[in-house]
Formats: sequence, structure tokens, C-alpha cells
Amino acid sequence: MAEAHDGEVIVAPVTDTEDVLRVEHIAKSFGPVTALRDVSLHLKKGEVLGLLGDNGAGKSTLIKTICGFQQQDSGSMWLKGEPYEPKSVDHARALGVDVVYQDLALIDELSVYQNMFLCREERLSPFPFLNSRKMKRETRKSLNDIGINLPRLDVPVARLSGGQRQSIAVARGVYSQADILLLDEPLAAMGAKEGAMILELIARLKAEGNLSMIMILHNYVHVLESCDRVNMIVDGVITLDKPTSETSVEELTEIVVEEYRRARIEAKKDEAAFAASEAAEGVED
Amino acid sequence: MSSATGNAVPAAAPTGGPAHRREAPRAAAVPLALVKRFLTAREGSIIVVTVLLTVYFSVTVSAFFTGGNFQNLLQYFTWLAILAAGEVFLMINGEIDLSIGGVYLFAPYLYYELANGHVPLLPAVLITFVACTAIGLVNGLITMIVGISSFITTLGTLFTLEGFTLIISHAEQVTAPGSQLAASATSNSLSTFASVFGAGTYSELIWALAVVVILAVALARTRWGLHTIAVGSNRNAAAEAGVNVRLNLIRNFVVCSTCAGLVGILESVRTSSISPDPSSANSVLLLAIASAVIGGTLLAGGTGTVIGALIGALFLGILQDGLAIKGVNADYLNFYLGLAILFAMLVNVYLGRVRRMSGHG
Repeated sequence: MAEAHDGEVIVAPVTDTEDVLRVEHIAKSFGPVTALRDVSLHLKKGEVLGLLGDNGAGKSTLIKTICGFQQQDSGSMWLKGEPYEPKSVDHARALGVDVVYQDLALIDELSVYQNMFLCREERLSPFPFLNSRKMKRETRKSLNDIGINLPRLDVPVARLSGGQRQSIAVARGVYSQADILLLDEPLAAMGAKEGAMILELIARLKAEGNLSMIMILHNYVHVLESCDRVNMIVDGVITLDKPTSETSVEELTEIVVEEYRRARIEAKKDEAAFAASEAAEGVED
Repeated sequence: MSSATGNAVPAAAPTGGPAHRREAPRAAAVPLALVKRFLTAREGSIIVVTVLLTVYFSVTVSAFFTGGNFQNLLQYFTWLAILAAGEVFLMINGEIDLSIGGVYLFAPYLYYELANGHVPLLPAVLITFVACTAIGLVNGLITMIVGISSFITTLGTLFTLEGFTLIISHAEQVTAPGSQLAASATSNSLSTFASVFGAGTYSELIWALAVVVILAVALARTRWGLHTIAVGSNRNAAAEAGVNVRLNLIRNFVVCSTCAGLVGILESVRTSSISPDPSSANSVLLLAIASAVIGGTLLAGGTGTVIGALIGALFLGILQDGLAIKGVNADYLNFYLGLAILFAMLVNVYLGRVRRMSGHG
């Protein structure tokens, strides 16, 4: 994000229709459990895509596949028009895709700045030694930029509050020089004030236009406020793709409630069928 | 004085009294805070215990605090420090390597066989190191790829190596090649070899300090060390952040094994004999783990210190050496050793708790 200053840098001519990321027909199972059945989505440059879905719908699996933590069973991904096959989180990061996990992926025993730079440590080249001073300085800068005030950066993150830990995880993703950032419930552990800080940061990054984001959120108000477009994922399939300007909290709620009703009816049907088959078996016995 | 406390103080009490009493602890607060800081530093407690032990033996045994005994002491702790330093990395990972006992036993025999097979001494040592590296690699691969707990994997390789050593040695003691010093050596280079690889008075000390310094710096100041702590603290989070967990663990198994091979060779050249005694190898292994634990490395993983392991080894060395020259019956040695380990652990756990609450990393 060095070239974040307004208007100074002319980015490569990416037209509006060109996507920085395309996910096509991704499927992923864990043993007998199918997490993603057939997911396709696309992300434009500078766009913030909100990903909605119930618990267990496959949101986190999708994020972990895009960020290189796990590989899909089938389907393909494209990054800026090139085939995108990340072998690892490190590999994806090198290609410009970074992630903020739901579980934050912070190491309790390590300090704030060590966590900020975990796996992209600054070194005193040509020596293999860590450049702690530089990492601390950069960490301080990033946290100040967001508005997070921590008195000490060399304390283990175990001693920080839930909100502070979450903001460190978000800061780590945002300041990692990524072009595409995946955020899995970035506001989960935050109080109102910290949440507002992060939403403001996301709005600022959106205004700068260099970073494209996919964000999992549960609060529809936040989704409509921060995202350009919203995708809903149900049982491992994307069922809705709309610009946020064309939808509302009521509509999103209605869709989810409708989904819930449908699921209940299905479950009732299954139950009835099961009871019928039980009864049939009982007769046979 | 606030009005609230003022009300509580009886009118008869001189106003200077309580204020004066409050001054005293404030003046002592700075050194007290320093002492507390030192005691709660990871290695602080074991340093204090070791110093106390040294003072005790110096006062009660006249022969203890002498140059001669210092050289004697080296034989007790230097090799232990090397083994423990390697083990610390794996223990921080939350793993353990029991096979260091087997490697310690096997390495000198491999070296002996190579030297007997007319391989020059230095290449024989290097080939032995490569073999130890390979053993570490096997430990790491079995543990990581197959997913067996390292306790089981290395228990297997421990017995395998000890058994294999008994088979190839026919359970016979041999003389270590290249262990003759200047007086009896046939050439200068042979003498140099011996004094470098263990027979020189301070050779093992220099090796130990070198290994400890290198590994301590690696742990505290490199990516490798940071990732070792990350893997031990939260393996899943480390993997999510992009740490190559497998590579880190396998590397640490290799380092641990190589340290054990080094000790095997140093000890055989120092004593100029190689004996196939699995029971002594097993106690060597347990002492190494004890050194790491006494030095403040927890078996649970996530934290540990190489310097602590060195001091833990020194503590065990002083204890054994001190009890020996004090003329304590050898039967009591293990008894005292066991109590000392328990005591040191209790102190460590207690101070660890104080440390976490006081907020020092």
C-alpha cells in the first residue's frame, strides 16, 4: 500500500469488468462432510464483497481455500487472469492474497510485534537475525494508523483483551502488502468502539481503491454499510449475488428466514419419511 | 495523607509515624523490584538455586572450590549441556526426543567402525554426524508424516539403536580411535584431533558453550526460533499464519540428534574408550531431559530457554560432583538427585506463576 496516496499512481489498466479473483466451481469435502458443493464467485479490483451464510454453510472453508491453507477437491481459481493454485498460506501471501482468520491465528506466547510479522519477519540481511526494532516500529505505525493504542508491543498477546487481539489480527492482514484480503468475521470479538475503528479502516481502504476484500460478516447493517456487493452461501452453494445498493436489511433477513422455513419443512418431510420407513420396517418385523 | 486514612489514625498517633514507615518500603522498592524481576526471569530461579548449591558445597567441602575440581566438574556437565540444548528445541515444540540416548551410544561405534575401516578420522566424524542427522530425519518423518507421537517414535528408535549397537559391537568395549594426546600420540595432527574432539581439558567446555550460544541466539533472534515457539504454543494457528510446521519439527529433530552424536564422539574421545552400555545411555538421556526441565523448559511446549538448560546441566553437574567429593555414599546419589529435580521443578512452576501474574514475558 505504498502507492496509496490519492491520484499519484496510475495502476495497471484493469477495466471494471475485469476481476482480480475468480473462483469457479470449487468443491471441498472433509471425509463424509461436504463443505463446499459448487461455489463460484468473482471479485473486482477495489471491491468489498460481503459473504453471508449460516454457521456451517461453508464460508470459512471457502476463505481457507482461497488463502491457500487447504486445497480444493475440484474447481479452479484465477488471480488477475492467471491460474491461481496456492500451495500454502505463504505462497498465497507471496501472490498478494492474505487473510484474517476467524480464530485470529495469533500465538499466545509471542509478542504483539512478533505476531504482526509472523511468517514475514524482517531480517537484518545478510544475517539471519530478526530486525526486531524495525518490526516494532512498523507495528507501532500500523496500530497508530488504525487508532489502536497499546502501551507495549513486547508483551505476549495472551495478555491482551479479545478486542485488542482481534485488531492485531486485522492489522496484520491489512498491513501485509496484500492486494486481496480475506476477512473471516473481523468484528466478532470486538466492542462497539473497536468495531467502529475497524469498519472505518475498511471504508478508508475501500476509498483508496487498491485493496479488494472478501469479508464474512453476520451483522446485515455492517454488510450494507461496508460492502459493495453481497453473496449468500447456503449448504456449500452461492444462492444470492446482489449489489448492496439493490438490497436491504429486510430483504436479506427475509431470504434467511425463508431459507430457515424451507429447511424446517424439509426436515419435517425427512422426519416423516424416516418415521414412515421405521413403521414399514416394524410391520415387516 | 487523605482524609479517609486520616480519620482512621488515632489522634494520639504522631503524624510522622505512618509517613515514615511508608518511606522505608519505597526506598527499598527499587532493589526489591530488581530482585523480583531477576527471580521471575525465566532462568532466574535456577541461577539462584545453583549459586546456593555452589556456596553450600564450597563451605562444607574444602576440596570443592578449587581449580582441580573445576576441571573435574566439566566432565559432569559440559556434555549434558549440549544434549539438553538440542532437546530444548523439541520440548518447546511440545515434542520430545528419547532417541538421543540411542544416538549417544551408537555414534561412537559408527565412528569406530569407520576409522577401523581406514576412513581418516575427520571424515569418519563427519560421516557419523551425517548418520545422526539421518536418524533425526527419520524420527521427524515418522512423527510428522505418519502422525505417531514423538514419545513413541523416539522410544522405538532409542531401543532400536541401542540394540543395533549391542549387535555390531558384540557388547564389547573398544578403544576410541584418535583419542591419544600429545604424550602418547604418534603425530601432531592426531594429538590436535584428540584435543579438539574431547580429550583437551577445555575442549568439551568450548564445544558446549559454542552449541549453547549458537542455539540460544537461534532461539531468540531468528525466524527458526520464533517458528519453534509458534509451533509449540499453537500448532494450528502457526500453520494458519503460514509457518511450515513439518519443516520446523523435522529440523528440530535433526538438530537434537546431531547434538547427541556430537556428545557421543566427544565423550568417547575424552575417555578414550567406547562401551556399549544401554543403561548408562538411558540415564544420560534422562539427565539431559532433567537439565532442560530444571532450566525452565516445560514439557507442554511453547516456552523454554537454552541458557536455562545450560544452567540446569551445571546444577546437576555440581550436585553430582559435590556429593561425590563430599564422600556421600553412591547409593544416596540418585535419591538426592531426584529430590533436587522435584524441588527445582516446584520452584520453577511457582515462579512461573508469579511471572505470568506480574506481567514479565
